[in-house]
Amino acid sequence: MRIHYTDVLVIGGGLAGLRAAVGARRRGHDVIILSLVPPKRSHSAAAQGGMQASLGNTAMGAGDNEDVHFEDTVRGSDWGCDQQVARLFVHTAPQAVRELAAWGVPWNRIQAGPREVVMDGQRVTLTEPAAMHGLIAARDFGGTKKWRTCFVSDGTGHAMLYAVSDQAVAESIPVHERTEAIALIHDGQRCHGAIVRDLVTGELSAYVAKATCIATGGFGRIYRVSSNAVINEGIGAAIALETGVVPLGNLEAVQFHPTTIFPAGILVTEGCRGDGGLLRDAKGHRFMPDYEPEKRELASRDVVSRRMEEHIRAGHGVKTRFGEHLWLDITLLGKAHIDGRLREVKEICQHFLGIDPARDMIPVRPAQHYSMGGIRTDAAGHARGLAGLFACGEAACWDLHGFNRLGGNSVAETVVAGMIVGEKMADFVESDAGDLHVSTALVREFLEREQAKLDTLLHGNGSESAAELTRRMQDIMTEKVGIFRRGDLLESAVTELRQLLEKSRHIGIATRRPGSNPELVAAYRVQKMLKLALCVAHGALTRTESRGAHYREDYPARDDANWLKRTLATWHGDDTLPTLAWEDLDVAAMELPPGWRGYGARNAIEHPATAIRADEINAIRKAFGHADRYTLQHALMPFDHLLPERYRGRNERPGDDTP
Amino acid sequence: MTRSIEQTGLFQPDAAAPAIPGIPAAVSHPAHAARRLKKSRWPARLDLLQSASGLFLAVFLVAHMFFVSSILISRDAFYTVARFFEAGWLFGTPQPWVVSCVVGFVLAVFVGHAWLALRKFPANWRQYRAFAEHRRQLRHSDTGLWWLQLWTGFALFFLGSVHLYGMLVHPELIGPYESADRIWTGTMWPLYLLLLFAVELHGSVGLYRLALKWGWLEGRDPAASRRRLRAVKTAFSVFFVGLGLVTLLAYVQLGIAHADRAGEPYVPTAAKTARG
Amino acid sequence: MTAPRSLTLRILRSSPGEGIAPHWQDFLVEEAEGMTLFLALGEVRERLDPSLQFDFVCRAGICGSCAMLVNGKPTLACRCLTRDLDPLITLAPLPVFELIGDLSVNTGKWMRGTAERLETWIHSQEETALTAVEAPMEPALAEAIYELDRCIECGCCIAGCGTAQMRPDFVGAVGLNKIARFRLDPRDTRSDDDFYELIGDDTGVFGCMSLLGCHDVCPKGLSLQTQIAFLRRKMAVVGIK
Ligand SMILES: Cc1cc2nc3c(=O)[nH]c(=O)nc-3n(C[C@H](O)[C@H](O)[C@H](O)COP(=O)(O)OP(=O)(O)OC[C@H]3O[C@@H](n4cnc5c(N)ncnc54)[C@H](O)[C@@H]3O)c2cc1C
Ligand code: HEM
Ligand code: HEM
Ligand code: SF4
Ligand code: F3S
Ligand code: FES
Repeated sequence: MRIHYTDVLVIGGGLAGLRAAVGARRRGHDVIILSLVPPKRSHSAAAQGGMQASLGNTAMGAGDNEDVHFEDTVRGSDWGCDQQVARLFVHTAPQAVRELAAWGVPWNRIQAGPREVVMDGQRVTLTEPAAMHGLIAARDFGGTKKWRTCFVSDGTGHAMLYAVSDQAVAESIPVHERTEAIALIHDGQRCHGAIVRDLVTGELSAYVAKATCIATGGFGRIYRVSSNAVINEGIGAAIALETGVVPLGNLEAVQFHPTTIFPAGILVTEGCRGDGGLLRDAKGHRFMPDYEPEKRELASRDVVSRRMEEHIRAGHGVKTRFGEHLWLDITLLGKAHIDGRLREVKEICQHFLGIDPARDMIPVRPAQHYSMGGIRTDAAGHARGLAGLFACGEAACWDLHGFNRLGGNSVAETVVAGMIVGEKMADFVESDAGDLHVSTALVREFLEREQAKLDTLLHGNGSESAAELTRRMQDIMTEKVGIFRRGDLLESAVTELRQLLEKSRHIGIATRRPGSNPELVAAYRVQKMLKLALCVAHGALTRTESRGAHYREDYPARDDANWLKRTLATWHGDDTLPTLAWEDLDVAAMELPPGWRGYGARNAIEHPATAIRADEINAIRKAFGHADRYTLQHALMPFDHLLPERYRGRNERPGDDTP
Repeated sequence: MTRSIEQTGLFQPDAAAPAIPGIPAAVSHPAHAARRLKKSRWPARLDLLQSASGLFLAVFLVAHMFFVSSILISRDAFYTVARFFEAGWLFGTPQPWVVSCVVGFVLAVFVGHAWLALRKFPANWRQYRAFAEHRRQLRHSDTGLWWLQLWTGFALFFLGSVHLYGMLVHPELIGPYESADRIWTGTMWPLYLLLLFAVELHGSVGLYRLALKWGWLEGRDPAASRRRLRAVKTAFSVFFVGLGLVTLLAYVQLGIAHADRAGEPYVPTAAKTARG
Repeated sequence: MTAPRSLTLRILRSSPGEGIAPHWQDFLVEEAEGMTLFLALGEVRERLDPSLQFDFVCRAGICGSCAMLVNGKPTLACRCLTRDLDPLITLAPLPVFELIGDLSVNTGKWMRGTAERLETWIHSQEETALTAVEAPMEPALAEAIYELDRCIECGCCIAGCGTAQMRPDFVGAVGLNKIARFRLDPRDTRSDDDFYELIGDDTGVFGCMSLLGCHDVCPKGLSLQTQIAFLRRKMAVVGIK
């Protein structure tokens, strides 16, 4: 039996995992990182747009601060988020950007003086003040009042991931690459580490740790079409689910992006439409005005995605061997514009489609993009259900995003959560609770159980094909649990997925070799992915309202009265359905009680406590009318106690006189 | 056996700093301390010397080709050039040992350059195979050029040595008839033919690569200047190989014409008229 | 519409773990609209041989996982459109790197080794105060650093470098580019003397023979030629000081 001992085991080498690991290491603890791929290949590298943090440096960001960022985030989440976590986050994000700057991220900087930008189709001249020259710049992003998204050209995630990864090397943190955690070791109360499969040799070993952190990213690949990397299969979240005691939160909250190139699913920026691009169908007809006469192509992300799918369902899609798509037409923008401002889109089109977007239309279709839900944790990143288990990043439901995350808030979350969870894990390891009491018998039991499962797959006489099951699952998810959700569709999705799950217990594989064996990997992963898929589908079926990205045609209104709560899914033994429970969001403690999101119909069904809390807040505001914003905020919803000591200081901003 | 962290090869146990809480390992990293053992400066100097020697030889060869091809102007022209190097203008009478000295110096640079360049040769059969296979597969122009330099350099080792040795020991036998006789009657022309191609290709490629190596003439658009350098390099090869061939032909013709009187030294026209 | 082409993927297969030596195997795939090698190989694995090993992660040309020799040239397979290739496509794993099996090689291990060897992180003596306004930097400098930071550690430059084939301890263009990147960054306080310690020998910048394969195959189009020449000049200056 091979056992590795460490203080902290971090599963996942993306931005979140790396940053958490560095934090724990700097506190003097031994850390091992596990990753399916070399850390720098993690999907964090794909983030292009940027990272939100209220530095308020740029002219269009002047006056920005934590309060504004907080409001944007809560509204964006359709009030589904944890507001204390949102506070922690907006407070720490500027520190994260500055730390990354010190670690070498070449953030784009402000050039003092006038410059021309296109806003709302118009050419506008902005003037950056001389005092801001050289400070970190920011760009505009959807759903934000201020320009707040710090960026490194169109390679923000890449630059961030490399800087943080290099810090992990500087700290001599070992990364065991090409390894996969396939089960958590636990006794029902305490997590002791993980059973890990070496993807090259096929060997299983146990990693025993005082604190274990899951930072395995999203699970987009349960869908057929996703902007996610092919490794984003959600195994980290699934192994937490399989403990039977750790709940996954809000798995039905899945974000879709309207324009990914077809069939590859690679994202092309919203800027294409922002700059005047049009959507067309198989006949070349511009269809968006038929559905949304006012906002047309520029309706909000979820609306456009929905309309596009609707149009395809109505039979207007362009049919190909890989399925159907629509056209994004930016030819009308002209070559000069595309070469200048949509350079990256142009390159993607060249490499992946072999077309020139200045002459040809781009085949697009909405695709799964982000998972708001994940392993439910508290504000410290501690997972529900098992002591010593933490989670952060896209894998977690820390609950910063509720039912819709803002662009740029995700990479920011990974680093901020990593900063906080790294400290909290170090605290835990240093505390009595962190002491390790694990019997090797328990470790052996888990190891042998996992080995037996793999042996069954390798040597059993199953006949189901993993590839086939995976494809079926992905099709069901994309067709029935996608952008548009409806009771009957979801019902049939759940039924079919349950059948698939049953079938997945009888997978047979042709390649018997135990080592590097893609077929075996596909087999055990699809078993886990199906459980996630069921959590999504079942959660979506049960949630009879529309909130953020979760849109029920049959329940189009947001229903705060009944559904201002988080879905918690747990999985028991050989069940074919998750057990769902719900956790109320406490309106009485909210700094920003539920209200209108700022777009869409004002059709929300109000929560009875909303009005009461709103009055309370008005009273507090009146009473603290003269106080500075920090004091007022503290009176509304204190959160400092949740912050690690070292991040409590107030963020300075140039030209900000309030200390 | 436990497959421990060390065996993954990603983690070097001795590189792991004992954790000092609060102090980033980036600051306390032991590699810093170890690094203070100063690294030798010789690799830098040898690289510079390799380039300098190559550059010297290349520039020397340009001049040399013009001197040698003065035969195309007239026999007297070549005669004058040859005698010029014997420094009669300095010592009163021609001193062939001066030429020997020059040859000695060039030979030293030549040997030095060869020795320095030898470090870049494949050191064993495995390396040779690896490169050959790589070149075959990649079909990449500049990689091919290096291969050409390698082989021409290898050839120069022998061809150049023979020529230089001849010049070293018989500096007095440089002259229109002497040279032509050596080339034709002494059957040196096959050697010169090979030497000509080898050295001109080696030299022009060498100069081209020298410019890339040190980033000379890079300008604002390195890609464009690389294309330009390539064109110059080719023109250089063509010109000097062409000039060399014509010159060699001239010697051969002269050698054939003079074959029956081989060994007879050349007497310049001026001297002849003075005498006659 | 013309009938779709039938593509032959001629793949160099091997499995060192099982002692299976490299051998070529052909797979037939029907070409589809916009097919990339990512899709084609996926189809092979799904329909023809589920044991085929290769590494794709982002499948968007940004993570650097999928570099392989396509018709002998190191490149990112995920962004190769089959329509740009002849119907017979040979695929082989990158040389130099440790072979895992079939088209999969361990570039990650190599790159981590390089990072440790060259200490590719910002070396700075001060702890930054995170709440304080960040130190300004010239916008053009930030962009110049990013130009060098764009390397995705795909390993193409190593596979395209004859020197690296001959001498496994050569840092290669990826390593040299990283040194250039940190040298340019004012937040890194290391001097040229420090960098000389890292790359001032024949396994470092003086080992480069200016073959420029690296420059010509880099999928990110990094200016490796310029950077290596620049470093060579700087390191030569240290050498003669
Ligand atoms: C195309 C695209 C563009 C985006 N653009 C933006 C943007 O502009 N701004 C923004 O804020 N957000 C953006 N996002 C979202 C954001 O990039 C991600 O949410 C975020 O990077 C996730 O980081 P992470 O560290 O949680 O996970 P990842 O970076 O996905 O890392 C997961 C890690 O876990 C490892 N792993 C997974 N499973 C296992 C296992 N079982 N065992 C061991 N290791 C495992 C993987 O190897 C990997 O190292 C974008 C997302 C996509 C897909
Ligand atoms: C014994 C004879 C010679 C041998 C073995 C030899 C070999 C080589 C080799 C292998 C290189 C490549 C070095 C590298 O890539 O780093 C080289 C470079 C060069 N050679 Fe030669 N060479 C010889 C003679 C000459 C001569 C006669 C000339 C003059 C024309 C010359 C000019 C050059 C130049 C200019 C370079 C480029 C220098 C550099 O890259 O630093 N060489 N030589
Ligand atoms: C100082 C040293 C040198 C002297 C004095 C010298 C002299 C001469 C002379 C006199 C000739 C005419 C032929 C003959 O007389 O044999 C000649 C030809 C030639 N030499 Fe040299 N040489 C020198 C160095 C070199 C070197 C280093 C090279 C290259 C490695 C070289 C390459 C050639 C070639 C290729 C020819 C034939 C020219 C042609 O084809 O036109 N020489 N040299
Ligand atoms: S320098 Fe270019 S080729 Fe080399 S690893 Fe980086 S991106 Fe790849
Ligand atoms: S190919 Fe190799 S030899 Fe130098 S110029 Fe590039 S590193
Ligand atoms: S798969 Fe990421 S670059 Fe090809």
